[in-house]
This record gives sequence, structure tokens and C-alpha cells, in this order.
Amino acid sequence: MGLLALGTPLQWSEAKENAAHVRAWGIEQLLAIWNAAKGKEGEALLWGDEIEYFVVNYGEEDEKVTLSLRQADILTALASDEKLKTEGGCVPALQDVVAETSDAPLPIFHPEFGRFMLEATPGRPWGIGFKDLLDVESNMRLRRKIAKEHMYPEEYPITLTTYPRLGSPGVFTAPYYPPSGENLRSQFVPDEIANPHIRFPTLAANIRARRGRKVQVNVPIFKDKNTAWPWKDPTVNYDLFKWPEDDDVRNGAAPDNFIHMDAMAFGMGSCCLQITFQAKNIREGRQMYDQLSPLGPIMLALTAATPIYKGFLADTDVRWNQISNAVDDRTPEELGETPLKHARWRIPKSRYASNSTYISEDPRLRKEYFDPNLIIDPDVKQKLMDGGMDSLLATHFAHLFIRDPIVIFAEDLKELDLTKTDHFENLQSTNWQHMRFKPPPAGSDIGWRVEFRPMEIQVTDFENAAFSVFMVLITRAILSFDLNFYIPIAKVDENMATAHHRNAVLEKKFWFRKNPFPTRLPRPYSSNGSRSGTATPNTISRPPTPIGPVEDEYALMTIEEIMNGGRDGENTFPGLIPLVESYLDSMNVDVETRCEFASYLNLIRKRADGRLWTAAKWIREFVGGHEDYKEDSAVSDKINHDLIGAVIKLDGGERGWVFNVDKFLG
Amino acid sequence: MTRLILSTSNIVMGGSSIVRQPGTDKSNFELTNSLRANFVAAQEDYSPPQSETSGNTPTFGSANGAEAEKTRPQLSIWTTREGSDYYVPTIDWSLSGVQEEPSQYEITVKLFYLPGASIQERAKYTKDAVELVLKELKIQTIDLLIISFHGLTFDGDCEWRADKINASQGNDEEEIQSWAAVEELHSQGIVKRLGLAEYGSEKLSKFLESVKVPPQVDQINLKDCCNVPPPLIQLAKAKGIELLTHRDCTDILPKGTLREILGQGPQGAGLLSVSKRGLDGMKGEITPQWVVKYTAVVRDRGVIENKGYFAVAELAE
Repeated sequence: MGLLALGTPLQWSEAKENAAHVRAWGIEQLLAIWNAAKGKEGEALLWGDEIEYFVVNYGEEDEKVTLSLRQADILTALASDEKLKTEGGCVPALQDVVAETSDAPLPIFHPEFGRFMLEATPGRPWGIGFKDLLDVESNMRLRRKIAKEHMYPEEYPITLTTYPRLGSPGVFTAPYYPPSGENLRSQFVPDEIANPHIRFPTLAANIRARRGRKVQVNVPIFKDKNTAWPWKDPTVNYDLFKWPEDDDVRNGAAPDNFIHMDAMAFGMGSCCLQITFQAKNIREGRQMYDQLSPLGPIMLALTAATPIYKGFLADTDVRWNQISNAVDDRTPEELGETPLKHARWRIPKSRYASNSTYISEDPRLRKEYFDPNLIIDPDVKQKLMDGGMDSLLATHFAHLFIRDPIVIFAEDLKELDLTKTDHFENLQSTNWQHMRFKPPPAGSDIGWRVEFRPMEIQVTDFENAAFSVFMVLITRAILSFDLNFYIPIAKVDENMATAHHRNAVLEKKFWFRKNPFPTRLPRPYSSNGSRSGTATPNTISRPPTPIGPVEDEYALMTIEEIMNGGRDGENTFPGLIPLVESYLDSMNVDVETRCEFASYLNLIRKRADGRLWTAAKWIREFVGGHEDYKEDSAVSDKINHDLIGAVIKLDGGERGWVFNVDKFLG
Repeated sequence: MTRLILSTSNIVMGGSSIVRQPGTDKSNFELTNSLRANFVAAQEDYSPPQSETSGNTPTFGSANGAEAEKTRPQLSIWTTREGSDYYVPTIDWSLSGVQEEPSQYEITVKLFYLPGASIQERAKYTKDAVELVLKELKIQTIDLLIISFHGLTFDGDCEWRADKINASQGNDEEEIQSWAAVEELHSQGIVKRLGLAEYGSEKLSKFLESVKVPPQVDQINLKDCCNVPPPLIQLAKAKGIELLTHRDCTDILPKGTLREILGQGPQGAGLLSVSKRGLDGMKGEITPQWVVKYTAVVRDRGVIENKGYFAVAELAE
């Protein structure tokens, strides 16, 4: 969620002047955390999932579905529920929450960027005890249930990535607000779409101001039988003259054959499934960060759930690039569209993008894996190294710190407080890469953490639990078997692009490392035959590792091969699911837990080999099979209504009636 | 009489031998492959280094048969005889032990009594097996010791039937008798919890009536772990027995497999002679006695740090 401190936010023109100041203090704070926490050891595995919802108003008889903008009211209702209060409370943004007093603390609800959104997390982090893993799904159900109980009867929390008709002409929110507000200046969505907390409108306005024009979120349209070609987004208005930014579309912001969107809400209004892991120490955190990074695009494609934008079927299946574009604050100079005059450098990626660094102190990390286009601030790097940080990690943060802080509160600029991390977090939490390496928060007993961010939210809690538990188990397999998934960062980037293709999960191939196993550590040799009595497993010297060309280490594979293992003689990759099962085979797992895990792994296995559909495919088939669909890529109010209705039914007793439910969930 | 002590060393980072094979419900693949891999590794490690320039070490467990025979180092280089014990390969005890405080670990040990071995000797086998594991991990206590008697399965077309078939398998009397040695380890405090493998409801209830220290775990291998036979579920619940899953076969090291692993063939260690006059290996009748599997898991992180096997066989020369 980032920072919610109240204060006086600076407009971009002022914020810009103070950017270097915030960065400098952020680096000071980072060094303070680094020095205080670099020696933290022996932390347990704790982990947490985050589920994001949007809230709709839905009535079976009323064709019109709207997004409910009552986020604040719903949170207030949760916070003022007397019974929940006695159980410790569940809205830390509005009340003091006491979690420690209870064996089963309440889930926690948070505000999110979209005023139609909610976020919910478990009341305390999960451990690795297998009973904990069994509780994940029921806890997710509980979150949904508690949220629903504090809404109007016609309001429902929905876990689709995007609301299919966000930004469509006419009424799509309740209450209704007209678009073209001062902060977003969007043709399609009102300013009131964003959480009114001052941080969020400022974030949106300053991104737009820094960029010098509105953000452009263009998604290729899915070309169906009756889709006009070239297709011109019929909802774009070329005749608006309220704001200077209304010129954007006249200057080519809305190209043919793309669904055009123009505001941060189209990206940051998406719901994701994010998992954060606490590492044993900084070393393990860095290892997990690197090893999970190549899994990012694979898990993105496998969880694909985003085939509709603004009332049209898109030709892509996932949300990622849209969020990336929706918060892209790069100037034309930084984008390489105009020659560099004022900007310090050209920047190849948006603030929201796939990772650009590897940071592990792992002898298997070859220099060939690094991003050749990495931009760093050399002064920041030098400062960090002068402060004692190693080059690899200093490079990582010197890369994050090429960005400007977007939201600066005037009050925070008065005095540098080294017991806080606000300035560091200002940059850190507005670098939305697919992995995030998180230092311990100031003054807490929390350890170093790694956040896995690429997965799309799934329609049901069963699926969300399945993917969450899978990620936990694969991290345990990585650490136990010392697995090696390194491929060059450029290949991870390429995979991220590939993951966007319609049905990439079945139809595309992804770069992946062929042999994930470590090379064996030899025993120490001593020529007189006696065994060296002082050697310990930690001090064995490594043999000269035979190094072949990097290109020989990886190959293009289908998601099925990556998840379930190579089938032909050529591809001997063991498969992530067999690796997880091998891990479980070595653990003491009770039959009930193993049964639950089996249902999770089966879902993922079948999504990977096509026996089950992704949500993206299920939604496409739903739209395509709807009586109101005219094979013209348009998703009407009626189709949207029935789709949302089906999603609501999936959660309840009428699940069996839902269209294609067996192909979707098995 | 020679006691062969075969070991795998820590297999958890040993690469592909730890990955389950697709399509197998249960197997001894992990044991046999990691034994072979450790033999090849020991032959490399204990041989004098080749010239510095030839850093081209063969990959783990993939020694080509014909080549292996040519380059196979002498037994004395990579194995050790200590009295009547013969370690294959040599164990460098200085490398043993877990990395953190022993209290951080959950140590599980599973002992397989093999068919053909002496029933009377089981007390000794049990003691020997536990001793080896304690020495290998440099620990004092074991959290869970699971005993696997041979001849037990959960095979059948449906769960009820599997449970029924199981009732007539094994030899209850012998199994109950053997338990005394296990109880002894428990009363000494060396083992905290005891467990059985592949016990159906009937066998388990008889067993519970006859032993002093009841098992707290029953480890079962079902095709589908969601179909546990209801009588077993009820019994386990009533008696506070945890039902755990596993994928080992009970006859984990048949004699033929062991001969092949130690023999002169392309996948063999070159330790046993094929014929009386053939090669310079050892000769005689070999009888696998027991296998022990040990696993050390860092409790609150769920990370497997150490896993391996010892297999012991008797060679009547």
C-alpha cells in the first residue's frame, strides 16, 4: 500500500525541485537500514498473500452493473462493527488493530488505488507449517465473506483483474461522476474513480505532469469476424477542448486497431495476487529474488485473466503492460522520442516493468545474465558503496533511484529522520517491478523480504489459494535443492512480452533454463589418504566450474514443459510441479494436507497443459457464446451483466450452473 | 562375513536423482540412483586430481559404462575396510553434521527391514541404523522414527479393498516382537515419536493392543491420498495417530538390484565379481539387511538441509 501519512503534497513543479533532496535522504535511510539489518539471521519463513477485489452493484434483473465507489464507507463499516472490534479490529487505516491477542486474528482490509477496490490480507503472516497452508483458502473465503457482510446486499466483492466496462461510455460507477476532471483529465473516467486520499490523486496528477501528457494505455483489439478493420476505438472523442491534454488523441495517442485508455485507473485499478516471503537472512532473500525472477512471466501467462478492456475484447490476455503504461511517467526525452536535453538519461522501461537486476551473491550468477541496458545513477551507487554496501546490491538500488519521487509531502522535507524509511520507501514503493526486494521496516523485528508480484488475481479463492501455496512450495524446493533458474534478464523481458499474447499459456514458448540443478560439491582431496579433519561443509572450495556458452544453458519451452517437465528426450527439464512434488515427498505431510495440495497442483498442471482453461479463456468463451455478442469484439452491458453474474455464482451454491465451469475449474 | 555399509551422502543438492519420475506411484529410484551417483562421485573425489587443465569432470551419475570400466579407480582409493565393516564409499565423517543448532531441525528417520534378513537381528539392525544416522548428522535425538516392515502395501482397486488386503499381509507376531527394540530407543529418549508404515486398520488395531509404546504416526502410500480407507481414518483419529503420506516401496533394495549396483556392469560400482575367477572384486552371497533414510528439515523454514540413505548388506565370502 505504501505510505499513507497525511500532509501537504507538492505539485509536480515543486516536487521536481525536491527530487534530488528526497533521493539523497532516501539513500541515507537505506544505508541506515542496511547497516542495522544486514546481519539479521535465522528468521523463520513467514509469508503473506494479498487479494484485491473490485466491488460491483449487481442485480439479477437489472442489466446495468456498476462499480461501487463506496470503498471508504465499506472500510468504515468494517471498522465500526462492534463484534469485529472486540475480536481485534480489521482496518488498520481507521483503527488500532490488535492481532497478537488472538489465535486466529481477523483478516485485514486495506484501501487501494481504485475507489472501487479493496485489498485483504491475512491477520498475521503464514508460516510453513502445513496446517497453515491448509488455512489459506478458508481464510481467503472468510475475507470475502466479511467484506460482503459489510456491503449493501447488491454489492459484491469480485476478483477479476479488471472491471470489463471500466471507462465505457455512459454510467459505469455508482454514484455517477462525469469524466474530464482536473487530476486525471481523462476522457473516459472521472477523477472520483481514484481513492480520494490525497496521495492517490497526487500520484496520478504528478505522473501525468512529469510525463508532459496523459498516460497512453493502448491495447490491441481482438479481431473477430465482424470487427471493422482497421478498427477505430468508437469511444474516443476527438472534439474535447477542456484541458490541454485533450489534444493527445488529436496528436495520435489513439492509433487504429487499439483500445485506447488514458488514465492511471486503467492500470492501477487492476487486481493482482501478490505474495511476500520473509527470508532467513539477506543472503537467502537475494537468492530468492533472483531465482523467482525467471518464474515471473511464466506465472503471469499461467494466471492470465484479463481479456477485456473498456467494453472490448483485447488481443492480449494479461494486465501487465497496461499497468506499466498507466504509470509510465517518462518524458519524451527519457523515452528516446526527442534528443536528450534536460533529462539525465534515456530509460528503457516504465517504473512498472519486469526486473532489471540480479542481486544474489551466487557464484552461478554469470555476468552474461545482467541487463546490458541497465541504467543506474553512478553517484548513488558510489554513495552506497562508500557506506559499505556491495557493488551488486548497490547497483540494484542505484537503478531504482534513477526515478523521481512522485509524491512528496512538504512536511517530510524539514528534517531527515534516520529511524524512519519514508524517503527510501518513496522511491522503493513506486518502482513496481515484478519482484521487489524489501529491507526490514525501521524499528521492527521483521526480516528481509521478497515480493512476487506478477500473478493475476483469480476468480475463485480456490485458485488464489492454489497459486499462493504453489509459490510457497516452489520457494521451498528452490532453497532445499539449491535450484538454479538463471537466464539472462533480456530473456526474462522477452518472456514478459510473450506472456501477453492471447492464449500464450498454450501457444507460446518461453526461454527457460534447461538444467536447474546445482553442480555437485566435491569432497576435499588429500593425497596421503587421510581425511582433512578441519574441513566443514562450508569451507569446501569449489572446483573450477566448466562454463559453456550462456546460450547453451536455456531453450524455448512451452508452459507445459516448464510446469510439468519435458517429455521428449531433448528437453530434460524436470518441471516445476514434479520439483514441488519431490519436495513434498521428502517432507512429513499428512494425508488431508496432501490431498488439498494435490487438488491445487492438479489445477495448475491442467491449466498448463490445456485440460483446464485460464480465466482469460473462460471469459472469452463466455463472451463469444453469449446471445448478445455480435462477433464484433464489443462486450455490451448485457454480456457484462451476465459475466459478473456468473462470477458471483462461482462463489456460491449455484456454481454447477455456470457456463463451462467444468472446463474452467475441473 | 563382511558388513557392507553403502551410503548416499547428502542427496538434497544431488540433482536429478531426487526428482520423482513421472508416472510412478512409488519407487526406489531415489535410493538406487543416489547410491550410484555417490559411488561415481567418490571415485572422482578420492582419486588423485588429474592435471589442472582437464577441468572436464564427468557429470553426476552419468558415467558411461565402457569408459567407467576402463577408468574405474581401485577400490582401495574410494572405499574403506574397518574390521568386518566395509564402507562403500569411504565416509569422511569430518564433513557430516547439520549446519545450525540441532534444535532447529525436525529429524525424520525411516528404517526398512528387508526381506531375507534375519528377524532375530532386527534389534541390532535398529540400533546400528540409528547410530549411523546420529553420527552422520552429528545429533543426539531423532524426532520421528518410522519402521517399515516388508510385504505391506496399500494396493487395491478401491480404498476399502486395499485396507482389507493389507490386513492379511506381513507377519503381525514378528512385527510386534521387533517393536521392542524401537520402544527401547524411545524410552532412552533417543527417539521422540515412533511410527509405522503401510499399516491398515486391522493390522494397526491389533498392533496397538500388543505394544507398550504406541506408534504416533502411520505412513501410508495411497494412489490417491484423498481416498483414505474410512476405518483407518476413524481408528487414527480415535488413537491420536497422524496419517502421513510417502512414496517409498517397502522392498526398497531387492538383492538383484543390489548386485547390479555393486557389480561389474555398466551401471555397477565394480565391487562384486561376476564369477569366481572373473575380476578382482569381492565374491560371495550378498544379503541386503536394512535400509535407513534420514531427513533433516529446518523446522520453521521448511527447508530440507540434509537427506540421505544408508543401506547395509551382509556378504558371505
